[in-house]
Amino acid sequence: MSDARLRRVNKEIADCKNDKASSVTIDLIDNSPFHLKGSFTGPEGTPYEGGHFEVDIVIPESYPFQPVKMKFITKVYHPNVSSASGAICLDILKDAWSPVLTLKSTLISLQSLLCSPEPNDPQDAEVAKHYMTSKTSFEETARYWTMIYAGGPGKEGLKGSPGLRDEVAMAGLEKAHVDKFEALGFDRSKVIDVLRRLNYRGANVPKINDDRIVEELLK
Amino acid sequence: MSESDLPPQPPRLKSADLPDIEGTDHDFENSVGPDHNTGVAPPGWVITEPTDISTLPPSSLFDLTQPVMDESAFFEEDTQRPLISLLEPMTVLRTEYENGNQVFVKQIDWLIDRGWVGIRRTRGDGDCFYRSLAYAYISSLLPQSSRSQPQQQQDDTSIINVTKAISYLESTSALLESVGFQKLVFEDFLDLFVGVLKGLISPSAGEGGRVRAKLVEEFNVAEVSNSIVMYLRLLTSAEIRSNPDNYEPFLFHPETGEQMNTRDFCEGFVEACGKEADHVQITALTKALKVDIKVAYLDGRIRSPSSSSPSSHLADVDFVEFVNDEGIEAGDKGKGKAVDGEGIILLYRPGHYDILERRLED
Repeated sequence: MSDARLRRVNKEIADCKNDKASSVTIDLIDNSPFHLKGSFTGPEGTPYEGGHFEVDIVIPESYPFQPVKMKFITKVYHPNVSSASGAICLDILKDAWSPVLTLKSTLISLQSLLCSPEPNDPQDAEVAKHYMTSKTSFEETARYWTMIYAGGPGKEGLKGSPGLRDEVAMAGLEKAHVDKFEALGFDRSKVIDVLRRLNYRGANVPKINDDRIVEELLK
Repeated sequence: MSESDLPPQPPRLKSADLPDIEGTDHDFENSVGPDHNTGVAPPGWVITEPTDISTLPPSSLFDLTQPVMDESAFFEEDTQRPLISLLEPMTVLRTEYENGNQVFVKQIDWLIDRGWVGIRRTRGDGDCFYRSLAYAYISSLLPQSSRSQPQQQQDDTSIINVTKAISYLESTSALLESVGFQKLVFEDFLDLFVGVLKGLISPSAGEGGRVRAKLVEEFNVAEVSNSIVMYLRLLTSAEIRSNPDNYEPFLFHPETGEQMNTRDFCEGFVEACGKEADHVQITALTKALKVDIKVAYLDGRIRSPSSSSPSSHLADVDFVEFVNDEGIEAGDKGKGKAVDGEGIILLYRPGHYDILERRLED
């Protein structure tokens, strides 16, 4: 079984290396051809533009009859990618897999997934809610994550050391909202956590009253 | 005991009473019944069915789909079944239905009475049509029995058949490339497919019975079996993609019944692993492979007496033919003509395909 798998993977790696025009690269992580690292640039005209995204690739035993396993190494703020684990919700990685797909074509599909989020079939429900509530605010956050984690543009403009990041922007919240509840004596990181979970953004803000938030903060 | 003392019949929805399905049944019988050699069955009746069903009330829908759902649940759990099994007597299948739908039992008896005494089963994994066809196709290149011809003559015939099939299959890689499949994704599948065929005619292959046993063995090696299935899927897809005008009007989403474009249909329901074949895929594959096949529909449905000739049995089985019309001009290109003329015969039960044979066992 693994002979055919090895033959196929080697061909795919070589094919990707030979395609100089492709924006996708595949590298070995350790010495195994069955554990690889894919990378591509964030698509233009999206909040991911200018970022460099890395993907962990595991070739299963019965590849290419079973789908390749992929998850983001680079943290991505996207409805179909878990912001915690990098797990990806994409049909071709599951029941729509076909052996005609290759590592290269699958990575290109991930790149297109960044262009066209599917918030109705989310991997990260909180991010999906953010996207549905305010696309502008979502895009700002996604752009911020691209800058912090994927080396996207704007990093030079950051004050202080590169390690210092704005937790409020990371969570896609507004500073004024966080300040308001912090002023009531709650821990800042707890406030950020609660407001993020409650999706305290855009049109949702007037719908969630302060008592509800305080109640959550006291839990 | 008068009739009024009998307990009342429980109310029961019968799908056969629904006019639109009944209509479908008539068309089906009239155009492709066993007495009509009308060539390729009109794809319409199967494909438009989801659209009809969507207009039915939920209760009738349940009645219609339940047997199918039960059937597929049964097959899905069945991962221990070999990919392709040894030949079993039809009576084994009959016993499985004895406590269930009696129409199935009658239809099985109908098949047995006509000499269809053996069934070779495939695993119910969504690839069953392609796997059944692949096995039956290769098997049809070999001599069916050792009775009629001397050994040498049989060997010569199978060498000719297999060699033609190999050269035809190798020629199809150009078609696959022409619709945009990268050689690296299919060349290994084709190599394994051709390798199995070459093994059948190699000097070490042995006589007929042993060759057949070896073929069953090879079809149970997942890598070999799945490679052949995958090559047939790609061939099906290439046929549809290269003739969109012929197929696009018949491409419907199998669940929603919505019209689909060629690319989405092929990616989602032809090239993807484990996606079942419907009428369109069968038509396309038999054409691309240049084979004629017959599918016996063991569907558990009683034929309405008004729609069939009065003399015909109510529980007979329709054989739907998929005839490849290019076969005549391309008769020398690996056409799957059986050595003793029986051809490729598959057995359909709702949601599943097996292979129908005239022999009891291997």
